[in-house]
Amino acid sequence: MNGKSSYVLLIEDNPGDADLVRLRLVEGKSAIDVNCVNRLSDGLASLQEKSPSVILLDLNLPDSQGAETFRRVLEKAPDVPIVILSGQDDEALAMKALHQGVQDYLVKGAISSSGLDRAMRYAVERQALLRSLEMSRKQQLEFKNQFLSHVSHELRTPLTCIHQFATLLFDGLAGEVSAEQRDHLQTILKSVNQLGAMVRDLLEASRAESGKVKIEPHCVSIGDLIRLAVSMTRSLAYEKQIGLEIGVDARVPFVYADPDRTLEVLINLIDNGIKFTPSGGSITVQACLVPTEPDFVYVSVTDTGCGVDPAAKALIFERMYQDPNSIDNSRKGLGLGLFIAKELVTLHGGRIWVVSEPGQGSTFTFTLPLYSLAKLLMPVIVKDDALRDAVVLVKVSLMSRSKSPRGNWKETCRAALERLQRCVYLDKDLVMPPMTAPGPLQTFFVVASTDLARAEIMMTRIREQLGKLPEVNGTADLEVSASEVALPDPAAGLTLEEQVQEVAERVTEMAQSALSTECNSTEKK
Amino acid sequence: MSNSKIMIVDDDPDLRQALRLRLRANHYDTVNAVDGYSAIAMAYKEHPNLIILDLGLPAGDGFIVLDRLQRDDKLSAIPVIVLTARDPQSSEQRALQAGAAAFFQKPADNAELLDVIRATLSQSGQGAVLPS
Repeated sequence: MNGKSSYVLLIEDNPGDADLVRLRLVEGKSAIDVNCVNRLSDGLASLQEKSPSVILLDLNLPDSQGAETFRRVLEKAPDVPIVILSGQDDEALAMKALHQGVQDYLVKGAISSSGLDRAMRYAVERQALLRSLEMSRKQQLEFKNQFLSHVSHELRTPLTCIHQFATLLFDGLAGEVSAEQRDHLQTILKSVNQLGAMVRDLLEASRAESGKVKIEPHCVSIGDLIRLAVSMTRSLAYEKQIGLEIGVDARVPFVYADPDRTLEVLINLIDNGIKFTPSGGSITVQACLVPTEPDFVYVSVTDTGCGVDPAAKALIFERMYQDPNSIDNSRKGLGLGLFIAKELVTLHGGRIWVVSEPGQGSTFTFTLPLYSLAKLLMPVIVKDDALRDAVVLVKVSLMSRSKSPRGNWKETCRAALERLQRCVYLDKDLVMPPMTAPGPLQTFFVVASTDLARAEIMMTRIREQLGKLPEVNGTADLEVSASEVALPDPAAGLTLEEQVQEVAERVTEMAQSALSTECNSTEKK
Repeated sequence: MSNSKIMIVDDDPDLRQALRLRLRANHYDTVNAVDGYSAIAMAYKEHPNLIILDLGLPAGDGFIVLDRLQRDDKLSAIPVIVLTARDPQSSEQRALQAGAAAFFQKPADNAELLDVIRATLSQSGQGAVLPS
């Protein structure tokens, strides 16, 4: 070891072994600064202060044993090369360590000065090589993303041009169009839409791959999303004379998911089903609960299409996979739909899979987490293993004066939610995830561990903070109100979990009834 | 009574023409600007009731135009609808925060775009004359 960085951290609790290693280090040609500690915690603390060029690590320490030891060091200092000092009997463990990112191991009792020096040198070199490989991998990924983003942007301009002029002709704005011409124009527009979808998928897939997709989970009805997805794909199915059915179990509660992303998954799966189902077939979209996985809803899309070849089952969720047996072979698309669906489902903490027999159709199923208010409430309304004394539900309604508010309204609602988060105490109040109801009225709920009198303070703060939004009192009205949540009777002998569950149910009931009366009054207006 | 006047800011002549034909067919008057610089000058000169703005522009991109419109007392009341080839995930939020009334990615659905133009004009009080 030479050069400026010759600081070695030796984590070894056996004084004899430590001295021996220290001796071997000093015997080596170069001057080395050795810091020897005998506990893992001291080693980790030392890493915090100064980064060594190599860590020499014994695995069996007073405060950590075996694999746990190198895992914690790797976690703390992923960029520092580690050489393990192993006993003669635990070479198997040392090998395991190598697989997990440790650079080398030396067997104690057989350490020579030159061997130690070389092991450290190589460890440093390999670590540097790994780092530069990782860096170039990241650069390539970044380059690919930039490239795809650029390409899809550039493709959109001529695409828009074709779309615009074809629709001008189609709408008769450039003179009368014959029935045959209209047919041809419709074909052009259909292809333009396909091309547009491909351009979008290209960008979406590259983004998913590089972990740039973010999800904003809401409390949302999966039934509503399924109905929306089906209505959006109905014309495509109709064109191919494929039936589109919905079967949603009415008992399915709300899910905790990003509504836009979930819609994207549903549309991708339905599109896929339409693509592989011959005319006269049908597609059924269902949502149900499964006893073995009580925290999730199962959403499935079943088609009567050609089915998936057993050999292809593992491959179809991969990027660019295209079924060679596709009946619509001339228009295969990019093969990104299922890949994107899988990435989005995984981001939600769900799974996706397919059950299929060739010729018997396929069922694609994915899971989404159920919305559990009790789980979210637990940390805020419980203190010292008991419910807090009082709980209040604060309702914050933001009402746009425009009947069909667009883009900027969504932005206003997002900003309002952000401000609302700043008005509460994170350890004893909960801003409930928004219950998605598209339209001019956005209602937020806060569960506050306080009584009505003190809730006034929070409400004043909310009025003040949300009143600062430029839209409020300009194009939107703000309304804040509070009502007490009845707590379960302590004499009823419920467990803490059951008590929280009961509060959650009451809160949900109150929120839902507040929402439904609001919706009715909006409609009446 | 006169029609509402819409300014189209786009550097692509074909797209400008297509949009102009579409808007005229819906009884709007149109004026054009081809880059960020002329967009501001034209807004001063023509006082449009609404601006349809591309983001990728020469001589000052769409965000610079949005910013300058917002800062200018004489122009800040004019609603802006962004119509761009750029990706909504990277640009939509930013455009809306910068003061755009709505965001559309190209190619936009014509009916939807016209709906929003109509709603935006009536909301801003700029479209006293509702086109049929």
